[in-house]
Amino acid sequence: MDGKLRELLDISENDFDVVVRITREEDIAIARQMAKQLAQELGFSLADVTKVATAVSELARNIYRYAQTGKIMIRKRLEESGGPAIQVVAADRGPGIDNVDRVLARGYTTHERSLGIGLPGVRRLMDFCEIASKVGTGTVVRVEKRRRKF
Amino acid sequence: MDENRVEMLVEELEAGSKHEEKLWRKLLPGVVSGATGNDLREMIREPLFGLLHELGETALGAKLKLVIERTPTFPTAELLPLILELCGELRHDSEQAVRELERMLSELATPIVRIWAEVLLVPLIGSLDSDRAQGMAEKLLERVSTTRAKVVVVDVTGVPTIDTAAGGFLIETFSAVKLLGAEVILTGLKPEIAHTLVKLGIDFRMVVIARDLEDALRQAIAMIEEDRSRQRKIVWTRGSNFPGEGGEHDGI
Repeated sequence: MDGKLRELLDISENDFDVVVRITREEDIAIARQMAKQLAQELGFSLADVTKVATAVSELARNIYRYAQTGKIMIRKRLEESGGPAIQVVAADRGPGIDNVDRVLARGYTTHERSLGIGLPGVRRLMDFCEIASKVGTGTVVRVEKRRRKF
Repeated sequence: MDENRVEMLVEELEAGSKHEEKLWRKLLPGVVSGATGNDLREMIREPLFGLLHELGETALGAKLKLVIERTPTFPTAELLPLILELCGELRHDSEQAVRELERMLSELATPIVRIWAEVLLVPLIGSLDSDRAQGMAEKLLERVSTTRAKVVVVDVTGVPTIDTAAGGFLIETFSAVKLLGAEVILTGLKPEIAHTLVKLGIDFRMVVIARDLEDALRQAIAMIEEDRSRQRKIVWTRGSNFPGEGGEHDGI
């Protein structure tokens, strides 16, 4: 897990189409907007565009809320065998999560004004969700959504 | 300082407007008079501020450079702190203006409209995070309480995405409105948002959902009518129990 986290934290920004640094609350809206645009460019359905944008909003808010600063990186993946997909990596060097399984359970939160459904919600909105975290080092969440054929 | 030189300088500066020309005429005699310290400040503060406001830092800088080249006795060193001070003042003013606009925007962005007797409409516009949403909730609760509204119709057509933060905020606001004794009707949920809400597990079943504004208004009026008839019934029952008090009145 530790090696995986290091690898993810040091992932190169150059490989991504968009990098949004989260330092202010307004940056959450910017990240959301960017995700929306890339998903639209990939030809996602309106429902899936909204799901991706909402998931990114959720991840960006978690960074702002718990780590204060971090970044959201988004890329289009056209070469995937299952069709084009969008990949989002949310990385921060904040306090980290001591028990990843627990935050993925519904209703768990350390924030007073939160519903505690953010991360499990993200997992349900996307096709793939992976969390690597270590207390004192940081957290990286990698999620993916494929374009659906109708 | 001879007037001719000031005149020549003013001409060379190619003032864009009469107002700017007037300001230069007021400023130049001061800076080339040889005055120093407080006298100089006194003389040039006002026209300099006016020019800064009119031209902006860059254009004023370029024009001052020209003046300095033409005037060997130009008090550059004395002028510098004053200009910095004025820039600071100007920035403070504009920051104040921005704050004022932000406040206005948040008020304009969340109108609360009375659309029927005892029915309020809240058309939400834009993203629902931060202080703006908080301010909106406070304003709504205040209005519900002062107008004794019975139904609040919340229209989220203008909200682009609802994440857990926005959803949590809405649930909080709805619960507070219900605690004040009013009903909430939610309308304007787009299909893609409805889908996302289900995935996130945000549950709005605590409030009445309407398909559109027309449906919302119809339901609101029905709720009010129901409430009235219930109250009439209460009065009537009481009246029959206490014939001396209200029975005659109700019989009319």
